[in-house]
Amino acid sequence: MEEMMTAERPAVDTSEPALAIRNLHKRFDDVPAVTDVNISVPPGAFLVLVGPSGCGKSTLLRMLAGLEPPSDGEIAFGGKVVSNGRSGVIHNAASRDAGMVFQSYALWPHKTVEGNIDWPLKVAGWKREDRARRIDEVLAFLDISALRQRYPAEISGGQQQRVAIARTIAPQPRILLLDEPLSNLDAKLRVDMRSELIRIHRATNATSVYVTHDQVEAMTMATHVAVMRAGRVEQFGAPDELLLQPQTTFVATFLGTPAGNVIPVERAGDQLCHAGVPLAPAALAGGRSSAQLLYRAQDITIGRREGCPVMPASYTESSPIAGQSMVTCMVGDLRLTAMADGFFRAASGAPVEISFLRTPDIVFDDDGNRIAR
Amino acid sequence: MTALALRAPWLARAVQSRDFVPLVVLTFTALLVIAPLLMILLATLTPEGRAAWEAVTNSPLSRNLWWRPLGNTVVLGIGVTLGSVLLGGFLAWLVVLTDVPMRRFLAVMSILPFMTPSFASALAWSTLFRNERIGGQAGYFASNGMSIPDWLAWGIVPVMIVLIAQFYSLAYTLIAASLSSVSGDLVESAEMAGAKRGRILFGIVLPIVTPALISGGMLAFAGAVSNFAAPALLGAPVRMQTLSTRIYGMVQTGNIERGYVLALLLMMAAAALLYFSDRFVSGRRAFVTVTGKGTRTKRFALGVWRWPLFVLATAIGFATTIIPVIVLFASSMAPRPGVLFSNWTLHYWIGPAGSAIAEGQAGIFRNPQLIDGILTTIRLGLTVALCAMVVGLLIAYTIVRYKASPYTRILSQLSFVPLFIPSIAMAAAYIAMYGTSLGPIPALYGTFTLIVLAATANLMPYAVQSGRGVLSQISSDIEESARMTGASALRRMWEIIVPLAIRGIMAGGILVFIKIVRDLSLVVLLFSASTPLLSMIAFQYASLGFMQFANAITLLILVICLLASFLAYLLQNKVQKWKK
Ligand SMILES: Nc1ncnc2c1ncn2[C@@H]1O[C@H](COP(=O)(O)OP(=O)(O)OP(=O)(O)O)[C@@H](O)[C@H]1O
Ligand SMILES: [Mg+2]
Repeated sequence: MEEMMTAERPAVDTSEPALAIRNLHKRFDDVPAVTDVNISVPPGAFLVLVGPSGCGKSTLLRMLAGLEPPSDGEIAFGGKVVSNGRSGVIHNAASRDAGMVFQSYALWPHKTVEGNIDWPLKVAGWKREDRARRIDEVLAFLDISALRQRYPAEISGGQQQRVAIARTIAPQPRILLLDEPLSNLDAKLRVDMRSELIRIHRATNATSVYVTHDQVEAMTMATHVAVMRAGRVEQFGAPDELLLQPQTTFVATFLGTPAGNVIPVERAGDQLCHAGVPLAPAALAGGRSSAQLLYRAQDITIGRREGCPVMPASYTESSPIAGQSMVTCMVGDLRLTAMADGFFRAASGAPVEISFLRTPDIVFDDDGNRIAR
Repeated sequence: MTALALRAPWLARAVQSRDFVPLVVLTFTALLVIAPLLMILLATLTPEGRAAWEAVTNSPLSRNLWWRPLGNTVVLGIGVTLGSVLLGGFLAWLVVLTDVPMRRFLAVMSILPFMTPSFASALAWSTLFRNERIGGQAGYFASNGMSIPDWLAWGIVPVMIVLIAQFYSLAYTLIAASLSSVSGDLVESAEMAGAKRGRILFGIVLPIVTPALISGGMLAFAGAVSNFAAPALLGAPVRMQTLSTRIYGMVQTGNIERGYVLALLLMMAAAALLYFSDRFVSGRRAFVTVTGKGTRTKRFALGVWRWPLFVLATAIGFATTIIPVIVLFASSMAPRPGVLFSNWTLHYWIGPAGSAIAEGQAGIFRNPQLIDGILTTIRLGLTVALCAMVVGLLIAYTIVRYKASPYTRILSQLSFVPLFIPSIAMAAAYIAMYGTSLGPIPALYGTFTLIVLAATANLMPYAVQSGRGVLSQISSDIEESARMTGASALRRMWEIIVPLAIRGIMAGGILVFIKIVRDLSLVVLLFSASTPLLSMIAFQYASLGFMQFANAITLLILVICLLASFLAYLLQNKVQKWKK
């Protein structure tokens, strides 16, 4: 099956990036939605665009799809420019060889499942026998052969999703674009579909761009992640790189389960202190009088530990995770996530002590940018 | 596209700009709507045109040409507006806000009159109330020895009554919709505050529905001042002229420039009125509290008045829908207007020429023009419905999908302009534009094409409105996913949008069909011997005093409209079987 999905693919030129975005801008009536984005990924990459609502992910994806012309900058697929904001070059979707799965699925309600998959092939000028064969293939691949003659209104949300994917991959696009495809599914189905999508991505051999605001999806599926914020790419890299080496406090607090703690500190003598408690040597801040330290949840624990900085805090809530407890507590206005052994629970607002187990290796300046060492 | 971009980047940019499509569609719409108006203006700037201005506005003739018709038109407009709003408002109040029995029945009865064309009611009126004043056969009452005063048989009073009988249902529709948005909470909170019923109605309900009252009144006014059939049948024979009948008379007698001048003045008057009432309404928009979601209305108990009011409302409905149809039918079968309900004969339908009744005139089905007329009328209805819906869908699509462009706003306003151009003035404008050959376009005067063009422009607002309703229900994702396949715009339209929109398109199409099939005021100037239309044949019979023939043809028109609605209904259930 998997071979069949790729058999007809012409060889991919691996010397060029499959997808290159250069200095891309998009303004709606002079209000910037996407600002100066630069991303480049090799063929076969699974690029995830992640960021909070309204940060411009969909807009960026729609520019990749050719649905929205860029205001400036350019997009190249496999070395060929498909959109250029200056010269106005826009290839339509067919000639840019990209397919898109919409968040709403956007199935054509007046066509059957089969008709939905068939139409794009027909538009692309496939011969009847080829179409029939290809439809059988993708229906079997997505395990929806039984739904062939049904109309979209007659199948469940999860099935509609599969049809939408089948429809998109049927013409074998080189670039697969997905806009929050899982956000309308229930939690269990979402987890199942995650691995299913990876399987599809591998089998089609396409380069995928996947938009989500769920950082767990980003971390589990991506080969490359671009964290977006207010129209800009905050950081771009491999998922582990983003997790281990966040370049800004935004990335550090957005990614990871649980997300990292960023604690502002002031220099007092040769120590960096928060709320009067010395946490780390002043040298970490590189001569600055104040900085922010990154502590991961596992770097902080509940209770007093010998030889570690200890700080009083007040308990807020806890949830069990893999045999431990993830505890949220407050130090002043600062919300921190710590880990505790076993099942830990206390009365809301109860005083607890937290210990900092490690000296942080990642330090940000007051603007939230990483201080290089 | 790529090659284009390389050779002429500015062109590629222009084509891709969000303004491109709106601009193209706007130009096209302007050609249909604005160009004829400009041509009519130009035509009145020639020496003959200026002489016509002089004659109409500033000469001994102007009293008869302009001032008196204007006075009649305004009086008619005001009377019809007040009558329609009062009657429609009363029925809307009864149906929506009270516990009157058989509410749904009354609601349907109150909407129906809008379906009967004004010339049907005018003919029915004439059949009943005509007196001997202008000769010809007297009507039912006069023939039975009742003396019908002139003011009741002819002139502004019957015209006003006939028009109110049609337009109150329009006012009803708007006011009822607005009333049902008055939520029960609002009324109950007033009750809790101790307000009495009258106080609630006038203090709370009325201010909320004022915009609906005004727009209902506006539409009734616009309809009344531009109506042609009623004043032509009931007023013109006794020299009660309105601007519409005056325009017709001028064009008919070859004083075409004077007709143009009057048409321009009529349009200006309509525009001025609409401008002011629109400002008046927009000042009050603040009152509109449409919550959108499931408003529960509070119904007042009528007590002992329940049944009397029900009977009154039913009587109004009957008098304005059922009775005219019965009268038309009976009259087309009865040998003389004096005996409507006995000795029925089919003479007026199929009788041979030269017999004793009807001065030897043959029945309508022996009129060689009739079959031709039926076919031409249906052909016109279908063609105009098709053209108007294509144009309407195109404009609606542009309005819905290119919201961001500033041209889109102009387009959406422009597409509603024809609503406020009296049909007869629109027809005059089309004669001005295409009456003589214009560059490569040959003279279209008297052709089917010209009627289709003018009717398409005239009915555009209805088509656009129904197109917008349909399209706004198709999500842009659906269309973009089709765009992603690389399908051309035309193919997307034909294979994705149209199948999804077909029900709404057909509903809009049938509305347009009915409006044009029974139209008189537009075709009366554009009609010619080569394009015999049923409404015109009826009008000609009526002008010659052969009421029964006219009535028979009017019935025929009603039957065509009913059949068309029924067919559309059947078809609608056939298409879109995927819809659950
Ligand atoms: N057609 C448009 N016209 C004007 N502004 C727009 C348009 N489309 C998007 N925007 C604006 O651009 C910004 C980015 O929108 P976008 O839809 O890309 O966000 P997003 O990251 O996909 O958010 P979400 O996660 O909520 O889908 C938003 O501020 C939005 O209001
Ligand atoms: Mg989005």
